[in-house]
Amino acid sequence: MSNKKEELLKRLSEGVVEMEEDDVIETSREYLDAGYPAFDGIMDGLVDGMNRASQLYEEEEYFVTDILLCSDAMYEGLNILRPHLPGSETEKVKYKGVIGVVEGDTHDIGKNLVKIMLETAGFEMFDLGRDVPLVDFVKKAKEVDASFVCMSTLMTTTMGGMEKVIEMLKEEGIRDDVKVIIGGGPISKKFADTIGADGYSYNAVEAVKLIKSLLKIA
Amino acid sequence: MLSPKERLEKVLSKENTDRPPCICPGGMMNMVILDIMEEIGVKFPEAHMDGQMMADLATAVYEKRCFENYGVPFCMTVEAESLGAKVDMGTDIYEPHVVEYAIESVKDWDEILKFQSEARRMSATIEAIRLLKEKNSEVPIVGNITGPISTASSVMEPVVFYKDLRKNNAKAHEFMGFVTDRLIDFANKQIEAGADVIAISDPSGTGEILGPKLFEEFAVEYINRITDQVKKQNRGTIVHICGQMKNVYREVNKIRSDVLSFDSIVGIGEAKKNLADRLIMGNVSTYALEFGEPSKIEALTLKCVGDGSDIISPACGLGMKSPIGNVRAMLGSLEKGI
Repeated sequence: MSNKKEELLKRLSEGVVEMEEDDVIETSREYLDAGYPAFDGIMDGLVDGMNRASQLYEEEEYFVTDILLCSDAMYEGLNILRPHLPGSETEKVKYKGVIGVVEGDTHDIGKNLVKIMLETAGFEMFDLGRDVPLVDFVKKAKEVDASFVCMSTLMTTTMGGMEKVIEMLKEEGIRDDVKVIIGGGPISKKFADTIGADGYSYNAVEAVKLIKSLLKIA
Repeated sequence: MLSPKERLEKVLSKENTDRPPCICPGGMMNMVILDIMEEIGVKFPEAHMDGQMMADLATAVYEKRCFENYGVPFCMTVEAESLGAKVDMGTDIYEPHVVEYAIESVKDWDEILKFQSEARRMSATIEAIRLLKEKNSEVPIVGNITGPISTASSVMEPVVFYKDLRKNNAKAHEFMGFVTDRLIDFANKQIEAGADVIAISDPSGTGEILGPKLFEEFAVEYINRITDQVKKQNRGTIVHICGQMKNVYREVNKIRSDVLSFDSIVGIGEAKKNLADRLIMGNVSTYALEFGEPSKIEALTLKCVGDGSDIISPACGLGMKSPIGNVRAMLGSLEKGI
């Protein structure tokens, strides 16, 4: 690998960790202009940076606000590099996931974080947003042929909705094809077991590990 | 026998009492459950908008021996609505929540001035406090304020707001100052109407989201502006913060409230150890209150007492379907004697 490519990848990674959107934009352009492959720029530059940020988050050096800013920088870079991926890479089969905050709750910081981490890990995420009508989880999962569904809530009053979604997945006959993971303030492993979810995750970084182990791609 | 008000006042001034009081402040920490609404025939969402209904429900909560206080309102959207956010009033089991924001960035905060202040529900809250004040002088009235970070991040998209704290720092401070002034105004009106204690819940201002630096710079700073004002008028203050504290104990200790309250993720014993000089309120799991058995609630309550909780309360707002037997078990176990 040429020194210059290595140096640019390092700068991309660094720009994400340091939340420097402008640096990432500039470096992404420079990287493309130099003719290096977009795929490496994404994986060894941007995603590498986001993984380092996740590591800092796990170590409690970084907090949610930091991760949000790091991911902004990563997405800026992705917007520039992604259109230059060769067709074979963009068409590569990806695991798809549906994510949202269940009906009755509008808190979505945690959900956004999980989405960012899952996207960083290479999953294709369909974000339904917050206060999501329960049936939409099922509809979307069918529509995109999702491998997993992630639901969250911060309120005890809306927890029951998660169980209903699982029931609806059964009624639609796709429960066995879709892993269901849940999370959020009042949610516990015990609750997840009670309603028959496949897993519970305490935080966004763990959610990635959980999905990977459920899909047996760890 | 101490009256509920005397007992709470004694705790707030760090005097000895026969046992900890059992309260649920209201606001984000809603105290109303379906059983009570059905019993007295007053229901959400109407009660979120009507002073008399609000007062009736708060009274029932006391009279049905659930808690030893009155507390209004029953949600955390009153302030945001008055700042231009659109609120869905929810149902008898879903809480009211913001469905449309007023501004897009902290940079536009002064656009809020253009909104016709939707103060109808603020007036209902004040009216409820006035009615409660006429009722029973032995019961402490808790007025509620949604914390500055939580209010600010209900008026605009929270993700953008959190990023703006750093990206547009100066404007973020202007916005927070403006929001806090409005909150102080609301608190003052509640005190005028008869509130004995002001509870400030700032669930969106957690240490986990903000990290220690931003937590101190924004949560502590603006919460203290409110507590200082309330203190000047000799009223008690309770501040509730959600989430883990371990990264921010030092900063939390700078909050100048009489009482600190945490959700059930924070053990009372741990909080007491880290905040030795502080009064701690909490924190019987609201999950257990909704889905557990009375015996479990009693055990949890006594554990809180044993760990040193100064005021027993649910860890968060009650789930509306919590059975009244479970809710009563908290106070019941305290009255049975420790």
